[in-house]
Amino acid sequence: MKASRFILTALLSTLLSTGAMAADVVKIAITGPFSGGSAPMGLSMRDGAKLAISQINQSGGINVGGTKMKIELIERDDEGKNDRGALVAQEISAMGDISAVIGTVNTGVAVMGDKYYVEKGIVKIITPAAGSASMTQWSKVGTKDLPIFRFAAHDGIQAQMVVEQAIRLGLRKVAILHDATNYGVSGRDDLIEQIKKQGGKLKVVAIEKFAIGDKDMTGQLIKAKVSGAQAILIWGIGPELAAVASGKEKLGFKVPMIGGWTLSMSNFIDTAGAAGNGALMPQTFIEDESIQRARPFIQAYHKAYGVAKIPSPVSAAQGYDATMLLAEAIHEAGSTKPALIKASLENLKTTVKGAIADWKKPWSKWDPSNVETHEAFRRTNTVMGKVKNGRVVLANPSEKGVLEGKKTK
Amino acid sequence: MLFHVNLALREKTAERIMRLTLFSGLATLPMIWHGEYALGLLTLMAVYGVLLIGLDATVGYLGQINLAQAALFGLGAYGTALAIQAEVSLPLALLVGIAAALIPGVALALPALRLEGPQFALSTLSFATLSVIFLNESESVTNGALGLSIIRPSLLNILLDSTRFYWLCLMVLFVAWWASQLLLRSRFGLAIEALRDSPTATDALGIGTLRHKALAFAWGSALAGLAGALHALNFGYLQPAAFGYDLMVILLLGTVFGGRRNQWGAFTGAAVITLLPNLLSNRTLFSFLVTLGCLLAIVPPIRALFSRKTPSFRQTAPVAAMSVALVLALFASNVEEWRKGIFALFLFAAVVGLPDGIAGAVTAILRKLIRFAPDPLPVASGGIQPANSSAGLALQASKLRKSFGGVKAVDNVTLKIMKGETHGLIGPNGSGKTTLVNLISGLYKPDSGSVEIFGVRPIPGSLMSAFLAGSARTFQNLQPFSGLTALESIMVCQREGGISEAMGWLNTAGLQEKARLRCSEMSYGDLRFLEIARALATRPYVLMLDEPAAGMSKPDIIRLVDLVTSIKRAGITILLIEHHQDVIAELCDLVTVMDGGQLIAQGTPEQVRRNKKVIEAYLGSDETATQAKSEMRTQLC
Amino acid sequence: MNAELLALIQMAVGGGLMGMAYALVAYGFQLTYAAGKAVNFGQGELVMLGAFIGLSLAGIGLPYWAAVPGAMVAGAALGWFVERAAVRLALQQRNEGWILLTIIVGLFGVSAAENIWGREDKPFPVPWPDGALEFFGISVTWPELAIAAGALGMMALVELAKRYTMPGIAVQAVSADPDSAELCGIRSKSAISLSWAVSGAAAAFAGTIIAPVTTVGPTMAAALTLKAFSVAVVAGLDSGFGLVLAGIALGSAENLSGFLLGSGWREAPGLILLILALALRPQGIFGKKIIRKV
Repeated sequence: MKASRFILTALLSTLLSTGAMAADVVKIAITGPFSGGSAPMGLSMRDGAKLAISQINQSGGINVGGTKMKIELIERDDEGKNDRGALVAQEISAMGDISAVIGTVNTGVAVMGDKYYVEKGIVKIITPAAGSASMTQWSKVGTKDLPIFRFAAHDGIQAQMVVEQAIRLGLRKVAILHDATNYGVSGRDDLIEQIKKQGGKLKVVAIEKFAIGDKDMTGQLIKAKVSGAQAILIWGIGPELAAVASGKEKLGFKVPMIGGWTLSMSNFIDTAGAAGNGALMPQTFIEDESIQRARPFIQAYHKAYGVAKIPSPVSAAQGYDATMLLAEAIHEAGSTKPALIKASLENLKTTVKGAIADWKKPWSKWDPSNVETHEAFRRTNTVMGKVKNGRVVLANPSEKGVLEGKKTK
Repeated sequence: MLFHVNLALREKTAERIMRLTLFSGLATLPMIWHGEYALGLLTLMAVYGVLLIGLDATVGYLGQINLAQAALFGLGAYGTALAIQAEVSLPLALLVGIAAALIPGVALALPALRLEGPQFALSTLSFATLSVIFLNESESVTNGALGLSIIRPSLLNILLDSTRFYWLCLMVLFVAWWASQLLLRSRFGLAIEALRDSPTATDALGIGTLRHKALAFAWGSALAGLAGALHALNFGYLQPAAFGYDLMVILLLGTVFGGRRNQWGAFTGAAVITLLPNLLSNRTLFSFLVTLGCLLAIVPPIRALFSRKTPSFRQTAPVAAMSVALVLALFASNVEEWRKGIFALFLFAAVVGLPDGIAGAVTAILRKLIRFAPDPLPVASGGIQPANSSAGLALQASKLRKSFGGVKAVDNVTLKIMKGETHGLIGPNGSGKTTLVNLISGLYKPDSGSVEIFGVRPIPGSLMSAFLAGSARTFQNLQPFSGLTALESIMVCQREGGISEAMGWLNTAGLQEKARLRCSEMSYGDLRFLEIARALATRPYVLMLDEPAAGMSKPDIIRLVDLVTSIKRAGITILLIEHHQDVIAELCDLVTVMDGGQLIAQGTPEQVRRNKKVIEAYLGSDETATQAKSEMRTQLC
Repeated sequence: MNAELLALIQMAVGGGLMGMAYALVAYGFQLTYAAGKAVNFGQGELVMLGAFIGLSLAGIGLPYWAAVPGAMVAGAALGWFVERAAVRLALQQRNEGWILLTIIVGLFGVSAAENIWGREDKPFPVPWPDGALEFFGISVTWPELAIAAGALGMMALVELAKRYTMPGIAVQAVSADPDSAELCGIRSKSAISLSWAVSGAAAAFAGTIIAPVTTVGPTMAAALTLKAFSVAVVAGLDSGFGLVLAGIALGSAENLSGFLLGSGWREAPGLILLILALALRPQGIFGKKIIRKV
């Protein structure tokens, strides 16, 4: 009887979410797709963040106003689906004792779900979702006080770099290929805007899209080839990118592929094999142990999860650094209250040494007319990577300094 | 059950009280269960409730797997969202949402009408895929994959905060529930169910196939549109990909899980598909639910073992599934990653263990525990009335031919039946009797030849057309409306008159005691009588009875002869296929004998019995059969 | 030949070769439909599991020629399991529960694959040479040719087995009339199980020949079930080799319409034709007319 009553109380208390607040922990939620097509990014991001959390907890926790508090983690799988993401956001924001949220891979999920965090003033660091809409939705409506931060090189920067690279290679005619999701379509729009911005030196001769799950890209590629494209600018995720690479090989269409950071995903590199060589993409992080700054993180990740290669190194490193930054903000706020954490994120005093860079005041006070205030990455701390024999290496060796942390903002 | 409670309430009233209690409970729930999340879940549940009640119209009542509901839901959502962007008032935007789903839904119903089973499922699925493609590609209108954002407007100057919006959704659910119940328990709803159980019989009895299928589909689509409209207002952001096959599978599972042909079932299904996946993400609750599921699953096989029976597959399979779920929940290193798999195991256990869904299982238990006051039977009136007694031809079949592959099932048959005549049709098995009746009644289209019923030439191959000319028939292989009661089976066939006339027809067939019994619970003999009563209820000029006495007991045959005699007295023309010679001899004015698809003899029962060709047809002309022949002669006399 | 026309032919050929894969999976539908009037709506998941098992077998060092039969044996076991767990009971009770149960078993299959093999798409190693062959300016890759040859070979093999082996003839007898077959001493349950096992093996085989083109991942076959089902229904669920034609037609139609109308509309014309074809010939283009018996 006693046992059943205990279970009943436990059930009720979880249901009504009035569970007692544990005083000595900081609760952080991680959300992302842990199943389905974009799971590799979600899982790498989560595992990177978990690595940071376990390191922090092993050292005794975060010093919050004099008491060492450990981080307690809540994980939620949003399956990459908008509705599910919205419910997850509602659930987390209703928990009442969550200090901050890290995650989201799919821009649509951020667009649909983040309003619930904003209503409750809960801090969220978006990573690795890069679609522009997840921040511009707030500047559009002119939100005054925004607890949403992004820790990813957003598509604006990436598109800028892709276009720069194409111009640097001396190309004139390009084809844009993109997937039919929110990510792909907004990437296409960013590319077109950047081409205009950089003086219209490139001529877009074909715009073609493909659906998630498509494996045969011959049609799109033939059109690009016939129209005389000298390069393919591409926005999509791993499996379809690989299909484009093999399609190019099949048609003997040997032009460079330049695209978003997803070209560094292992499911592109491994699947495309030799066909993927030479693909160019913006990177915030490269899984290369010769880069001193990155080495400890890469080794720790390999050891903790028993892998020789990180499925999505960028997601993992961003998850790790975002968590480190959050922990520092909580420490500086001296409180687990979201409002205070938000304030200290907007004005971080200490430089945080992460796997990607030394982060010195990455965000500033939110200004609805300038989304850059809540964006951590700039053009200057992003480099161009290149696929070479199954790994990502620096495309322009001169940029190695950026990764070593000699030139953060 | 060891005990039960007698309740001086009718089941209908009890259901109504429970429904009102449920809704008042749901309406007050936000006061106790605080928070945006709770409200979000409850609102989603209400929206899915509307959607599933709509889906139940096709999947449950019509019995066809409809895979277009998720897409129609999306079309409704987009319709409303676009209307709101155009700054239309909220009530009008809701109507736009309904229309956005209803119009394409009806358009789909037209080509899909002729299809059943996998073909129907596939055509709805194709439509669904097309809709999503359309939403994704019409970037200038729908903003394509980038999605459409809207801000929820006020309703008649009332600001809809999340609690008020939840109440609005709840109200819509209540109305949708009530209206569906009203609609689906009306004659229209009975016809839809009859259609599911036997499309052949509904056509032959003039209930009609196409109209009801289209109406069921339209109703389901309208509710999908309404639910979509609420969905758009709820989340304020739409993307085409959200309305694809994944959502459809979840909806279908919800319907089956909750229980089909039942608004309670649809509601339960909606509750399960919204609450279960989200609650499963809470670790404590998750282990609790898995353990509970395991314990519940283990009860039936243990009970079976106690009564010394081997547990059936239906009892053991859920235990196996739940055990796997439990093992995963306890030992898997990351339960969150197995969530979908465990959800699938739950569903498997439920679908196998509870074929009528949760609502069906709960209703069955409640019916065992509680004895409700029975619904009073209506007073019987009406019955067989004299038909028009003018002389002339009732039915004429001229030179009918029909072959299947190389077999000539009916070969150049000409048959004339006068008004008021009872005409017997006999012949050995496989002689083409039933095929002939199928040709006359319009089930088959003749290869050549024509049929005339009371001076009208029905369209060849159309049951409905033959019915409209004045015929009605019964079937050798019974075609009962299994989901309906005896009384409902009659009501659905009536052209005129109400429930007391229906009772009158049951009286005529001697089934008054069984009026509230479902056809699936009736005996074979009773079903044969019910088929005749059904046909009579359409007030036919010509009644075709295909082996009515087959498989009947002696006393039942006597009842049958009495019944047919009274039909005959009323002046209704009868075409009777029968093997029982005594029945033929007693009832028929004239008898036609068929063999090998041809007419071989015609005359009074007495003449036919002595006809040499007839005897040969039954026994062969072999000399060794002489003995048998004389035996048969004695039998026939 | 001008470039535009050449491109169209290239598209049609590529689509047609992939259409053979649809036909092979559709053939699995036909086998189980003939014997037991049910199909596996999780057939795509069997294709996926077959590919993963093949990949694992190749991973432990088995050569391709041994990994493929291994995957087929596993596929047969899975097909048998689906029939036993999800289909048999529902069919005995003549309800449509099997449609959902097969979907549910498929859902579990995806979740299991995600957790056993991971969510990553993986390349499938093959013994064929890299690169493409060119015939009159049309390029075709070796794995694509393997799909066509494999699909036709597999179908021909099973058809021969159906006609010239005792179990095959027994299955045909059960398809024609289960009750009469029982009276002749054929266990219709075993015959149905057998056809599900063969269907499972065909699906796993399809997985091993498709995977080199599409890569192996838990979601690789999500769309395949529907496409194959369309092929099976349009051709007629009892139509034999009509499948191959329908498969090639669907594959090329998809590719051509994607090319001509824009890739977003790739599936649209096929779907409209499908609805029309069904409305005009419900039994399928090559199917026999359904005769209602009363």
